Amino acid sequence: MQYFKKSAYLFLLPTIIGLLLFRLIPVIFAFFTSFTDWDIYSPPVWIGLENYTRIFQSGEFWQILRNTLLFTAIYTVGVCIIGLFFAMLLNQRLKGIKFFRSLFFLPVITSIVAVGIIWNWILSPQNGILNILLDKIFNLQEPISWLGDPDYALIALALVYIWKSVGYQMLIFLAGLQNIPTELQEAAQMDGANKWKVFTKVTLPLLTPTIFFVLVITIIESFHTFGITHSMTQGGPYNATNTLSYFIYQNAFVHFNMGYASSLSFVLFILILVITWINFLYRKKWVNY
Amino acid sequence: MKKWIGMTVLFVFVIGFLAACGNNSDEGRADSAANAGSKDDKEASASEAINLTYFSWDPSMEETNSALIEKFEEAHPGVTIELQSYEPTDYWPKVSAMAASGNAPDVLDMSSGYVDEWASKDLLLNLQEYIDADLNEADYFTDVFNAVRYPDKENGDMYAFPYAWVSTVLFYNKDMFDEAGLEYPTNEWTWDEFLNASQELTIDTNDDGNTDQYGFWFYGRYAQIEPWIYQNNGDILNEDKTEFVVDANGKEALKFLTDLTTEHKVSPRPKDVEGTNQQDLFPTGKVAMWVDGSWNIANNRDIIGDAFDWDIATVPRGNNWSEDVTYGWPDNIAISKTTKHADMAWEFVKFMTGEERSVEEFAGGKVPIYKATAESEAWLENDQKPANKSIILEQGELIGRNSYTPGWSEWRGYGAAEGSGMNGEIDQVLDGVKTFDEALESLTPYANDVLERAN
Repeated sequence: MQYFKKSAYLFLLPTIIGLLLFRLIPVIFAFFTSFTDWDIYSPPVWIGLENYTRIFQSGEFWQILRNTLLFTAIYTVGVCIIGLFFAMLLNQRLKGIKFFRSLFFLPVITSIVAVGIIWNWILSPQNGILNILLDKIFNLQEPISWLGDPDYALIALALVYIWKSVGYQMLIFLAGLQNIPTELQEAAQMDGANKWKVFTKVTLPLLTPTIFFVLVITIIESFHTFGITHSMTQGGPYNATNTLSYFIYQNAFVHFNMGYASSLSFVLFILILVITWINFLYRKKWVNY
Repeated sequence: MKKWIGMTVLFVFVIGFLAACGNNSDEGRADSAANAGSKDDKEASASEAINLTYFSWDPSMEETNSALIEKFEEAHPGVTIELQSYEPTDYWPKVSAMAASGNAPDVLDMSSGYVDEWASKDLLLNLQEYIDADLNEADYFTDVFNAVRYPDKENGDMYAFPYAWVSTVLFYNKDMFDEAGLEYPTNEWTWDEFLNASQELTIDTNDDGNTDQYGFWFYGRYAQIEPWIYQNNGDILNEDKTEFVVDANGKEALKFLTDLTTEHKVSPRPKDVEGTNQQDLFPTGKVAMWVDGSWNIANNRDIIGDAFDWDIATVPRGNNWSEDVTYGWPDNIAISKTTKHADMAWEFVKFMTGEERSVEEFAGGKVPIYKATAESEAWLENDQKPANKSIILEQGELIGRNSYTPGWSEWRGYGAAEGSGMNGEIDQVLDGVKTFDEALESLTPYANDVLERAN
C-alpha cells in the first residue's frame, strides 16, 4: 500500500523552496562569508580564520559575551518565574478572567517602537515615573539613571524584555496547567496537603514537560535580542547593553563588516547549540513524563 | 530514537533562528535591488525620455524637493525625476545595499562623513570637470568644498556638491547671564572667561544639594568636540588622516572639555540626562550655554518661543589659539557612478544647489551654499532670534579642518552603535567610569584598528 503520493511533494514545494532560499542557502553563504573580509561594496577577500582570531582577541567581544550570558540568565529566570506566577493567577474560574488573560498578553503584541518610547519615559532619570515613585518611598539621594548607568542598564533592559515577552510563556504555562487533571490536586488536598504542598508536590512535577519546553525556547529567545535594544539603548552606554545578536547587527548593517559579522553569527550559533545540548542532556534528571 | 528526532528538530530550529536574523535585511535588499532593476528596464524601453531617481534623507523636505523637481522637469522636457525620501536611519542601509548591488540611485543626498568612504569605493561620479566647466566658484561658499574632496582634502577632486552648510556656534541664554550679572560671550572669549561664566551660571536654586541649572552642556560628540580642538590649534588625526593620534593641543582641549563635567561639574553627566533629547536641554532652560551645530536654531525657536532671550557667539578660543577656525560642514548631493545619464544628473544637481533653491527652504541655521541667497536679508531673518545670526556667514570664510575618514562612523561610534568608539569612551570619562588617560589609551588602538581596515 502506498502511503505517500508523489503529489505530496508538489504541496511541500513552496515550503521547501522558501526554506532553501531564505534559510539554508543564506546560512551556508554566511558560513563562507565568515572566512572573508567583505564590506558589501567590493568583492569579498578570503582571509581564512582571521575573523575568528580577531573575535577571540578583541576585548569588546568578551565584554559583549559576558553581557549576553548575564542577560540570558536574568531573562530566562525572570520569564520562567513571572510567567508561571501569572499563569497560576490566571488559572482560576473568575468573572472576567478572559479579559485579564488578554490583558497580560497585550505587551507581546505591542509594537516594539512604542514599547521602547514608553519605557524610556518611565525609566528616565529626570522626570521618569519610576524614579519619582522610588523617591516618594525611599527618598533617593540622587536620581538613578536606569539606562544611562552601566551598573543598571543591562538589568533594566532585561526587565523591559521580560515585561514584553512574558505573556507568551505565561500562555504556554497556562495551557500546561489546564492539562493537569484537577482530581489529582483535589486528592492531595483531601489527604491534608496545604496549598504550597499541592503546588510543589503535584502541580510542579506534572508541569515539568511544559517547563522544559519553555526553558528551551526562552533561552534561545534570550540570545535573540534586537528590537528593544535598538529602540532603547542601541547597545549603550558604552556597550553595557550590547549583546551578541545586536553586535552582529552593528557589524553587518551599520559598519558593513559582513565577514566579521558572519563569523560572530557562527560563534553565537555554537553557543546556542552547546547550551541547548546541555539542556537536553540534563532533561532526564528532572523532567517527568 | 525519540531523542535523536528531538535534537534534529531543535537543530533546524536553531539554524532557522540564525537565518531569520540575517534574513530581514536580506529580503529588503533583494527588494530594493528588484525595484531598481525594473526602473532600468523602463528606462531602456523609452529611449527618448530620461528617468532619474533621486534619494533624499529628509522626508520633511519632500514638499520643497517635489516643488523644485517640478520646476526642473518643466525646464527640461522629457526628463522625469523620481523622488524617494527616507529617514536617515533607513536611508544609509538602503542606499548602501543598493550601491553594493550596483543599482545606486542616480542622484542621492550625501553626508560629508561618508564622501571618503563612498569615493574610495568608486561609487561616486567625479564632479570636478563639470564644476570647472559650468560654475563660477565666486558664487559659492568654497571653504566648505574641502569636505567633499577626495582623496586629498586640499587639492582633491570633488565627489559631491553641497546645497547647504552649517557651522558650530555657542548658544547662550541671555536671561541667565543678566540674572547672574555677567557680560555676554564675545567672539574673542577665552577658555578662562568661559569657565568662569559656566561656574557662575551653575546654580542649585533650592539648596537640596542637586544642581538645578548648569552653566554648560557638553555633549561628547563631533559637533561638540571638534570646534574646541580646532580653536586650540589641535587635531585628533595625523596629517593624511590615516591614523588616530591626538596631539598635545588636541589633548588639552579634550581634557578641558571633559573636566567641565568631571571636575568643575558645570555640565550634567550623560547618565543624568539619559532619555532626554540632548538638543532640548538648552531650549528648555536647563543649561545656560551649549555648543552645537547652527541647524539647532530651528529647534531652539520652536521650543523656546518667547520663554527667554538667547543668542549665539563663536566657540571660545583655546590657550594655543592662533587664528579663528570654524568647524563646519556641508550637506551634499552626489551622483552615482553607475548612472546612465551623467550630464542630465549634473544639470539636476546644479539646479538643486543653485539660485533656484529659494531662501525659504533653509530652516533656521542651515546656510545656502549659493552666496547670493545666503547673503540676502531674508536669510538673516532679522525679525527672529538669534540677533547675531550674521556671524554664521562670517564663519563660512573660516571653515577649516574636519575629521572625516573612511570608517568614520565606526571609530566615532555612530548610527545604532552609539556605545562604541570615541563616543563611548568620552561618555565613560564623563560618567566617571574611566579616567581621561585610560579612555585615550583604549581608544587609540581601537580607532587605529578601524582606520587600518577601512583605508
